[in-house]
Amino acid sequence: MQRFAKYKIYLFVLPAVIVLGAFFIYPILLTAKLSFTDFTGVGVANDVGWKNYERIFTRSRYVDALKVTLFFTLIVVVIQTASGLFFASLLNRLHSIRNLCRAALFLPAMMSFVIVGYVWQFIYSPFNGGLNALLAGIGLESLQNNWIGDPDTALFALAFAHIWMFVGYTTAIFLAGYAGIPQELDEAARIEGTSAWQRFRHIEIPLLAPSFTINIVLSTIGTLKTFELPFIMTRGGPDGATRTLSLHIIDSLFGKYKFGFASALSIVMLILVIVVAYAQNRILRSREEQL
Amino acid sequence: MSVHMSASRRAGTWLLSTGVLILVGIMLLPVAFMVAMSFKTGAEMAADPLGLPGGIFFGNYENALSKMTYVRSVLNSIGVTLSVAVLVSFIGALAAYPLARRTSRLSRALVLIVALGLSTPNFVTITPIYVIFRQIGLLDTYLGLILAFTALNLPLAVFFYTSFIRSIPAELDEAARLDNCSDFQIFWYIIRPLLGPATATLSLFVMLMVWNDFTYPLLLLTDESKFTVMISVYRFIGNHTISPEDLFPAAVLGSLPLLLLFLFFQRRIVAGVTAGAVK
Repeated sequence: MQRFAKYKIYLFVLPAVIVLGAFFIYPILLTAKLSFTDFTGVGVANDVGWKNYERIFTRSRYVDALKVTLFFTLIVVVIQTASGLFFASLLNRLHSIRNLCRAALFLPAMMSFVIVGYVWQFIYSPFNGGLNALLAGIGLESLQNNWIGDPDTALFALAFAHIWMFVGYTTAIFLAGYAGIPQELDEAARIEGTSAWQRFRHIEIPLLAPSFTINIVLSTIGTLKTFELPFIMTRGGPDGATRTLSLHIIDSLFGKYKFGFASALSIVMLILVIVVAYAQNRILRSREEQL
Repeated sequence: MSVHMSASRRAGTWLLSTGVLILVGIMLLPVAFMVAMSFKTGAEMAADPLGLPGGIFFGNYENALSKMTYVRSVLNSIGVTLSVAVLVSFIGALAAYPLARRTSRLSRALVLIVALGLSTPNFVTITPIYVIFRQIGLLDTYLGLILAFTALNLPLAVFFYTSFIRSIPAELDEAARLDNCSDFQIFWYIIRPLLGPATATLSLFVMLMVWNDFTYPLLLLTDESKFTVMISVYRFIGNHTISPEDLFPAAVLGSLPLLLLFLFFQRRIVAGVTAGAVK
């Protein structure tokens, strides 16, 4: 009876176990199972072995989608982290405008991908879109472009919209990191006559290591599954330049009713996210300890 | 000498502040553009996309409101968001209590599942959820949508509450146990009343996520009367030839509730979301 009472407290986790079991663990297992079949959403699912996976890694369109997804993630993570650090390092010194600017930069993160997608699609549009009109207004007509219609610029245009949305998030996390740096350290270095750049490079950057880890891991996980912006803005075009893995999943699912193949793509995405997030965590955390 | 230095340093700070304010102002231009465009007539939009509207023109809004089922979709979104927030915080806090207080193989296994859930994109489970929902008749129902969102947000809730409850001294539990309180009584009367700040932060996350999410309602709902705000915006603006007269008022209407909320609670929202990420 005593032993039983000791475990009774685990009844508390029962509702969570039921919900996660039914709508998270079981679906993942079902995805894995379906990924080895040719299930079309109705009728029977025939076992096809590794054929779906073979298709993903031999057809150039899926390999390209993997490359597009990884490249998009790389651009977003690098530029967003750098811009967030840029804003945070300045705002940390400018107490009078810090909170105002932090909130202003954060505002776009309140909006939905759907709305950000539509608004930026219009801004980029070649016919009296905002960006081309702005360039004309300041006498830079030569830079005008069909931003999301040109395969060379489309992915960067999408990445910029994504970064615009989340740079405030990154900035806020870096500012929280700055708040944890003891003021005396900066004062001491200042008295020793170090330049602002030296203090930034040798004191602030190393002490911000945990914020780097959080920002990089969070933005990577968030960006690897990018779906809404290409879905709304380009539908994967022009010429597959913005066709991400998640776009292929939805397209296989509801465009072609290839449930088995979509499942295989989902499993590839899951492995990709786990491997990348785990590797980043390991590398960044060991770097934190070294510093 | 030092007076001189500090004067020049103050000038430098002032210059830097102005520069940063201009940069931040540029970052907000797309939002200003969205609002300005929504009040322009079609002719003004074409002739002068960047200028301020000549007058405040409500025609686009009248048109959007009459065709968008806006009020209905706002009510749907609020209902779904509230249900998910209540379910997620109750189930999450309940599960977090033993995880925070006991270390056993079982609780470690659960923590592992939660960690997996935190990093798993919803695309991985979207195919089977669709299949399962169709089998058990949850497709195109509020309940199905609420359950899908609950499962998606639950790992974050468990994780969040676990670290929060760990910071509550276990002596409180012990004292109550001496008074013959059951585990559930301890949770309900001692722990739950202290969870307010964690619940507030978590509800913010859930609200942002559920209000703005597009994929689940897009795939799980077909009945127009059940659409959430983002699906209603998406259906109204359309996907082929996009007319700015439709786009901008719909974009403003879709963002308005959260933007207003942000205007009033920006400090708390930024701090909460940051704390949630750092935890």
